[in-house]
Amino acid sequence: MTTWRRLDPLSRTGLVCLVVLVLAALAGSVFGLGGNPDGIVGSRLAPPSWQWPLGTDQLGRSMLPRVLEGIGTTLLLSTLAVLVTASLSTVLGIVAGYRGGWLAELVLRMVDVLYSFPTIVLAILVAAVLGPGQAATLCSIVLVTIPLMTRLVRTAAMTVSERDYITSAVISGVGWWRILARHVLPNVSGTIAVQGTYALSVGILVEGGLSFLGFGVQPPESSLGVLIQQGGIYLLAAPWLLAFPGVVLVVAILAINVFGDGLRDRLEPRESRSLV
Amino acid sequence: MRIRRSLAVLAALPLAACAAQAPPEPTAPDRPGYLAVADRALPRGGTLELQLPVDTGAASGLDPQLADVATSWELMSLVYETLVTVGPGFEPRPGLATSWETPSPTEYVFHLRAGVTFSNGRAMTPSDVVGSMHRLLAGKGVWRTQIGPVESVTAAGPDTVRFTLSRPYTPFLSALANTPTAVLPMTEIENGSLDVTRTMLGTGPFVATFHRQDVLWRFKRHDGYWAEGKPGVDGVNIAIVPQDPTRIASLQNNSAGLAVLGNVDAPQVLAGVRGVRVRAQSTTDFYYLMLNSNAPGGKFADERVRTAINIAMDRAQIAKIATNGLGKPTGVTPVDLPDACDPATLPSATAGLDRARRLLNEAGAEHLKFSITAYATEPAPAIAQVIQQNLARVGIEVTIEQLDEGSWAGKVYGTAPAGFDAALSWFAGYAGAGMVAKWWNPEAAGFNIGFMKPNPDLNRVLDSATSQPDGPGRAPALRELCTSVDRDAQMIPLVTRPVIVGYRADSVSPTVYATEGYGNAFRDVADYRLSSRP
Amino acid sequence: MRLLSWWARRLLSAVLTLFVVSVLIFAASRLMPGGFAEVVLGPFAGPDQRAAVSAKYGLDQSLVVQYGLWLAAAVKGDLGTSLLSGEPVAGEFLLRIPVTVELTVLGIAAAVLIGIPLGVYTAVRAGQRGGGALGRLAGGLGVSVPEFVLGSLVVFVFSRYALGLTVGGYRPLGEDVGANLRSMVLPAAVLSVFAIAVTARTTRDAVLNVLVEPYITASVARGEAPLAIIRRHVLRNASIPILVVLTTITAYLLGGAVIIENLFNLPGVGSYVVQAVGRRDYAVVQAGVLLAAAVFVVLTMLADATSGVLDPRLGKAVR
Repeated sequence: MTTWRRLDPLSRTGLVCLVVLVLAALAGSVFGLGGNPDGIVGSRLAPPSWQWPLGTDQLGRSMLPRVLEGIGTTLLLSTLAVLVTASLSTVLGIVAGYRGGWLAELVLRMVDVLYSFPTIVLAILVAAVLGPGQAATLCSIVLVTIPLMTRLVRTAAMTVSERDYITSAVISGVGWWRILARHVLPNVSGTIAVQGTYALSVGILVEGGLSFLGFGVQPPESSLGVLIQQGGIYLLAAPWLLAFPGVVLVVAILAINVFGDGLRDRLEPRESRSLV
Repeated sequence: MRIRRSLAVLAALPLAACAAQAPPEPTAPDRPGYLAVADRALPRGGTLELQLPVDTGAASGLDPQLADVATSWELMSLVYETLVTVGPGFEPRPGLATSWETPSPTEYVFHLRAGVTFSNGRAMTPSDVVGSMHRLLAGKGVWRTQIGPVESVTAAGPDTVRFTLSRPYTPFLSALANTPTAVLPMTEIENGSLDVTRTMLGTGPFVATFHRQDVLWRFKRHDGYWAEGKPGVDGVNIAIVPQDPTRIASLQNNSAGLAVLGNVDAPQVLAGVRGVRVRAQSTTDFYYLMLNSNAPGGKFADERVRTAINIAMDRAQIAKIATNGLGKPTGVTPVDLPDACDPATLPSATAGLDRARRLLNEAGAEHLKFSITAYATEPAPAIAQVIQQNLARVGIEVTIEQLDEGSWAGKVYGTAPAGFDAALSWFAGYAGAGMVAKWWNPEAAGFNIGFMKPNPDLNRVLDSATSQPDGPGRAPALRELCTSVDRDAQMIPLVTRPVIVGYRADSVSPTVYATEGYGNAFRDVADYRLSSRP
Repeated sequence: MRLLSWWARRLLSAVLTLFVVSVLIFAASRLMPGGFAEVVLGPFAGPDQRAAVSAKYGLDQSLVVQYGLWLAAAVKGDLGTSLLSGEPVAGEFLLRIPVTVELTVLGIAAAVLIGIPLGVYTAVRAGQRGGGALGRLAGGLGVSVPEFVLGSLVVFVFSRYALGLTVGGYRPLGEDVGANLRSMVLPAAVLSVFAIAVTARTTRDAVLNVLVEPYITASVARGEAPLAIIRRHVLRNASIPILVVLTTITAYLLGGAVIIENLFNLPGVGSYVVQAVGRRDYAVVQAGVLLAAAVFVVLTMLADATSGVLDPRLGKAVR
């Protein structure tokens, strides 16, 4: 509740949007709002109407439950993946940044190896080796997002570790775990929050890219990436196919981003200053 | 044969010319059998810009005799020609042979066209024809099987070639009309001056001047081409553009003169774009579902289970939903071919869902679950999803596994016995009823031996259907063939594959068949004229 | 001397990285189910044809031997032969690299020329009402629109209303500069939206961090002009995260903008490698990933060296 009060209006709006999206996904999957997302129920490419509030797709399936299912799939997959990424990156990045030495070197080399694979190619290789589907998508997103986040967390931790208050804490004999938890972690949490939001958008992009090339979630399951990819060609002939999932996707990423920004501004112990 | 790379080539039927948002409606063609006919009053010259979704590409290179995918036939047909071709009604037409006689059901005598030269200037001789056929028969190309029981090919005079078959083979002329039987420059091949796998040298209207794999082909006119007034253009560029939206965009902004489109809704998508016309070509190609007789757990070993699945699939709905009504339900004889069987009268089409449920019950497979392995190129995933909904009606739970090209091919063809449950693909349907049915004999076809058990009854029916001469007896023989395949239900024919051709009517005047047998949307590219030159 | 040993160690670890990448990509390409034989030969090929092609490309040898031969050749600059086209892989890459490099240069130029000033501007105005929220919203929107959504929109809009730009008609720079630029502007613009937004956000973040430093307070107290403070203190001290993010974007773009290449039909590196993955054209996949990795390793090395110069504290840590 205190976090809520301390957030600025924009971030609150972002948070509200996210909650609404999660509720919508739940309404679809738990309460069956809109009906069966896989059932062929109407004519193909029917525009929005009372019967099909978001129209029907190219197979005559109602778009409403498909969009709801897509929100759920995309958010769940990306969030899970980014949580994994964030946890791993935080540990690796802080250890590498704060401790330095051979440990840092090892982490950096591992990260470099992953990093040096071209993004989409890495994702596709993972999907090709593991077989397409949710597990491969999750794994791809983690592998694609982990290098950047680890490096940035490390950079942030390194900068922090040079600060006077860390030096004085070390001198006064504070344990390194405590230093990490009390001083380093809070100071890199902004980076993690901001990078987490980027990672989330990258994750959604990777999911969409994999779907684009047929490696993503398997039909008939929908995800926002799948819906957008399939709707793209109907931009003029049946704009509702792209419009609804597209708007939802942009809103979702945007909400995550502004919320992440707001969170960052609160988490980082720093006052902002205006130069002009 | 089905096409891996050509998985991508797809598409559809009618076309609203200018009427924005109008439902697709076949326009009355100027000539029956054609979707468009080139305007010969237009001046010759200019360069035609075409776009295709996939390139040729195989370990066998550019050797037409080894080409087994429709895209390769299409591209190679700009350079190579055959003795006969097929007309819009699938009737044999003169090609490099001006006429032919059939002294007996096992003898064909062709009279070669005078004045035909290869693009290096050398005149074609009967020994080129004979040598090409000998090379084909001795080689490993798939068309060796389709050409039939050819016993000998000999030169019977300065412009005459005689083919002798060991037994009657009705689709012989149709089989001769495909690119793998093209007449090759045998002198150059035999003296080693031409590597036919790397360079194309034919008698056709065009000469390939440039090829960059998966990017671009450039062709220029063959100046010594035998046909009066052809080719109608000086050059043809064929860009390989894998993405449908990009080909559609290229048509919209006039950077492509004509493109093969994949999306079955392309006619609606391009409706209202000034200057663009979209035509859906019917083909004899068709999608089919493989039910692996060697599937894990013996799922489909019982014919009753396969029959139940066959009954429960709603081909009319597949055609309507997954192909936007542009494909048509079909039996193993492609429905647009003369004498083809009517798919609506097949046993699986007339039995009801109750019978399917009963069969499943008898086979102890009421709670059958299986997965369909499909590749990602539309409309294959759409077809799989409609089948999934169809089969749910009789309590069968289908999951769809959508794989990339390499994984798909590895899973379906890579091992014998094969490890998949069911798989979806398409066959090119060729130009004679009963030709493609040869692949229902796995011992002759080879590629499906890992998932298909030979069926002696089916093989017998197949043999009698292909040797049944044209005439009143042919339709019943083909019908029996359809029924036999329908009962066997190891490879189940579903719906035909439409191909959508979009072109700039304000700059290109093409000739396009209404129905195509060899996946060659550019069949008459030598006829095309340009009305405005970029 | 210390500098020399820094470079020597970096070089060593770069070689090590590339070695690990080469092992991984070789293993991954052979772990993929399905093989080149089914794809390149087609289902009709008999066992003898498969054996012949395997022998031709050395695929019948043990994996260790194959890897050794490939690596030995790759070190000498021979990237192998495409199984599909039968042509040397290196030649096709040489044709495609300029396309990818041009896209990258355009994207990075936009990120530097637009993204950095935007980031600084939103940061220094962060304390003010309104301006900050608007900047955040705009920046957020930039990273929120996936390139395949924006790309699809752009392809459709500009193919109907060309405005002098072309969609899909790529022309090499050396052939016709005007036509080349007309075909590259749109894909570069789509790519640069994300690059600009990420750069702007990182810049804002970095600048905000610097603004609270005591020496900025001191400068403000001394009455220095805001622009001078930004130039003299802020940018220099905020440069490292910006450098990191620019390096990342560069490496990402050089690895191949697969989706944009596909949508605009640009014959770049990314679509080539992705297509090769689908067809199991091993030589192309291996060469593509190894090349991208080499580019990445070199870029990071340069970026790290630059960081050391920009910030001696970091330089020490790097060493």
